[in-house]
Amino acid sequence: MDLFHDNPMFQGIRQMMNAFAKQAIRPIAAKHDQEESMPWDLMKQAQAFGMTQTAVIDGRKKLTGVDEDPDPKKPKSQARLSVAASEEMAWGCAGIALALGGSGLACAPVARMGTDEQKEEFRRLLKGVDEKGHIKVAAMALSEPATGSDISGLKTSATRDGDHWIIRGSKQWITNGQSASVYVVWAQTEAAAGRSGVRGFIVARGTPGLVPGKKETKLGIRASETAQVHFEDVRVHKDMMLGVAQAGGQPGGLADTKKMLDSTRPVVGIQAVGIARAAFEYLLERVQGGTVQGTPLASHQHIMFELADMQMEITAARMLAHRAAWMADHHLDNVAEASMAKALGARVAQAVTTRAMVLLGEEALEPSHPVEKWYRDAKIYDIFEGTGQIQRRIIAKHLTGQNPT
Amino acid sequence: MDFRLDDDQQLIVETVRKFSDRDIRGWAAEADRAGAPPERLAHIAGELGFLIDAVPADAGGMLEGSYSHVTRALRGYELGRGCAAIAALLECNVEPALAVAAWGDAKTKQALFASLSSGGFATLYHDSRGALAVDGDRITGKLIAPALAVASYVLVAADGKLILVPTDGMRRDAITPSGWRAARWATATLEGQRGTVLEGGSVEQVLAWARTSLAARAVGVAVAAMEHAASYSKERVQFGQPIGQFEALIRLRDDALTTAAAARMLALHAAWLIDTNDRTAYDTASRARVIAGDCVARATIDAVQIFGGYGFVNDYPVEKLMRDARAFEAVLGDERLGRVLAQKETR
Ligand SMILES: Cc1cc2nc3c(=O)[nH]c(=O)nc-3n(C[C@H](O)[C@H](O)[C@H](O)COP(=O)(O)OP(=O)(O)OC[C@H]3O[C@@H](n4cnc5c(N)ncnc54)[C@H](O)[C@@H]3O)c2cc1C
Repeated sequence: MDLFHDNPMFQGIRQMMNAFAKQAIRPIAAKHDQEESMPWDLMKQAQAFGMTQTAVIDGRKKLTGVDEDPDPKKPKSQARLSVAASEEMAWGCAGIALALGGSGLACAPVARMGTDEQKEEFRRLLKGVDEKGHIKVAAMALSEPATGSDISGLKTSATRDGDHWIIRGSKQWITNGQSASVYVVWAQTEAAAGRSGVRGFIVARGTPGLVPGKKETKLGIRASETAQVHFEDVRVHKDMMLGVAQAGGQPGGLADTKKMLDSTRPVVGIQAVGIARAAFEYLLERVQGGTVQGTPLASHQHIMFELADMQMEITAARMLAHRAAWMADHHLDNVAEASMAKALGARVAQAVTTRAMVLLGEEALEPSHPVEKWYRDAKIYDIFEGTGQIQRRIIAKHLTGQNPT
Repeated sequence: MDFRLDDDQQLIVETVRKFSDRDIRGWAAEADRAGAPPERLAHIAGELGFLIDAVPADAGGMLEGSYSHVTRALRGYELGRGCAAIAALLECNVEPALAVAAWGDAKTKQALFASLSSGGFATLYHDSRGALAVDGDRITGKLIAPALAVASYVLVAADGKLILVPTDGMRRDAITPSGWRAARWATATLEGQRGTVLEGGSVEQVLAWARTSLAARAVGVAVAAMEHAASYSKERVQFGQPIGQFEALIRLRDDALTTAAAARMLALHAAWLIDTNDRTAYDTASRARVIAGDCVARATIDAVQIFGGYGFVNDYPVEKLMRDARAFEAVLGDERLGRVLAQKETR
């Protein structure tokens, strides 16, 4: 298993991303956290050297051949590459990492289910700059005010009208919700069909009736924008509906998207690991210089065994994320492992940042303290992309075939 | 043993609970955003007898007879349910006032009590890591404390001594940390600043008061977090049922309330030991702070969890509580570290 041999490709990407995180992300992290602003300049730079907003679509083609590789049994490396890179980005700043990669949430269903025309249209909508001169970004709008964990309850509806669909409803907590130039919005096309009636639609900014709503003030990942989006009878051409078999795309709607999560969950888990590692390293550095009542902090078991625990937990969570990604790359069923990796990463990030703050003592009270920021950032990993409870529900179902309540 | 409150205590609890539910909870979000309490706080608090409750009546305060730490813990719990930052401001005068009453000379008493009686603030700073340099009555080093930005005096517990230091001429920088944002924090850099050593003063005793109060308030925050979570999880429906009915969430709430009940009892016990001049109060207060710190940490994180995405945004009350929780463990230092070091020395 090359997971344990860090092959040169993974090592290379890790080093490159770490350098980027250290030099480009860390220095601006506190500012964007305080100002709750998107790092537009950095996003532009990142785009210039290949971290494009459509990387997920382009990357799939180039690296993994999901679209065109004739041999589906051939191992891929996309999931592991993402995991290796994502740890470093989140280590830099999870909020900025999400700002840089947030469009990927919308790219993913397009990459998986979109026709060539839809992909082309999606790419076109993301070319150039928007009216503010910012690079263009995308948003994936699934959650609603009353519908988070249980997506079968979606209220947003799509009603057929000739060659168009008319979309009506409100979306909640949408990453890039205000700034996006293109949205992938999920809506119910057949009220009676439940989950299987849900479809994704590509909708361009500026389409009449598409109204970005309030931007949220958040606990953490404040460099990423989260906002409501309202769809007030938005007319979308039928060709912009994803998952239509007849049109040459892959069949399937939301169910298919959920499968996709099995390869993105390890990435979310490793991002949490990246935050935990950041806090761990900060604490270690402090401990090496500091004293308590005249004795070196590093001479105390009270402190050093906590650091040992942190390192154990971080390492275990990282291993699990890499293993779940390795399974995805090798076409193995990783439903349970992906959920475990995500849930464990979230738990470790919360525990490590909380304990690091206690051990740092009053120092951590100072405004814009990095560990305090990481404590706030860590919490989201137990909430979005399926809450900690939802991951455990998936794992439990995998064990017995039943959904416990 | 009798766990019932007496009539006075009952009245105080009811009054503070009302104040906390009606006023403080209503102010909390805005105070958090603004990084300052509402202006009318001092006025209302004064009417209710806060801020000068530990100042002797004959020196312009409200205290007749001995001070009741049990009553203070009961009240602290209710204040914590309202807002941790406002609670910290309303409780900060107590340690300096009681310490000076116990060990201050006439001049020191006169100065501090006059200041507090005319609406002034004082606060406590404990040098838990031995980082300050103390030379007689001179202190060099850095302080950080709630209320320090508005305080006229700071009681410094360092090097086994209690030193009351006027903030006049002190280099102070007001700061707004992420927790207890409205508590008027400041850092201060002291360079040989002079204070008045309270001769015969017991650091341990003052810390027992402070730890007990801190523990009671922390439990209040934890319980408030779960009050919010309980009412939200009754309303919120996913998978066809109120989320509060999922066993996983029942467990989160129930575990939090179990720990909170234990921590509250331990804080009240510590307070009772203080009131009865029992020296085991020091250790009990410290233990109360350990368990209350764990309790508020866990409960506030879990309350955010129960609120899901809404927990993460500041239209809802729980993300503030998660930030506030951290300050409970940061002020006065890492309690477990203190305990470990103390037990190592006495072996
Ligand atoms: C910063 C941020 C960014 C986001 N970005 C996006 C985005 O780009 N696009 C998008 O579509 N959405 C996004 N979301 C929404 C996110 O995916 C949801 O918040 C998440 O799925 C949880 O849903 P909810 O908030 O409705 O919580 P709920 O589903 O209401 O859950 C509330 C609580 O109930 C628990 N619970 C629910 N069901 C069960 C059960 N069966 N058993 C036990 N416990 C249960 C949950 O675990 C949680 O603790 C974002 C959210 C945030 C905060």
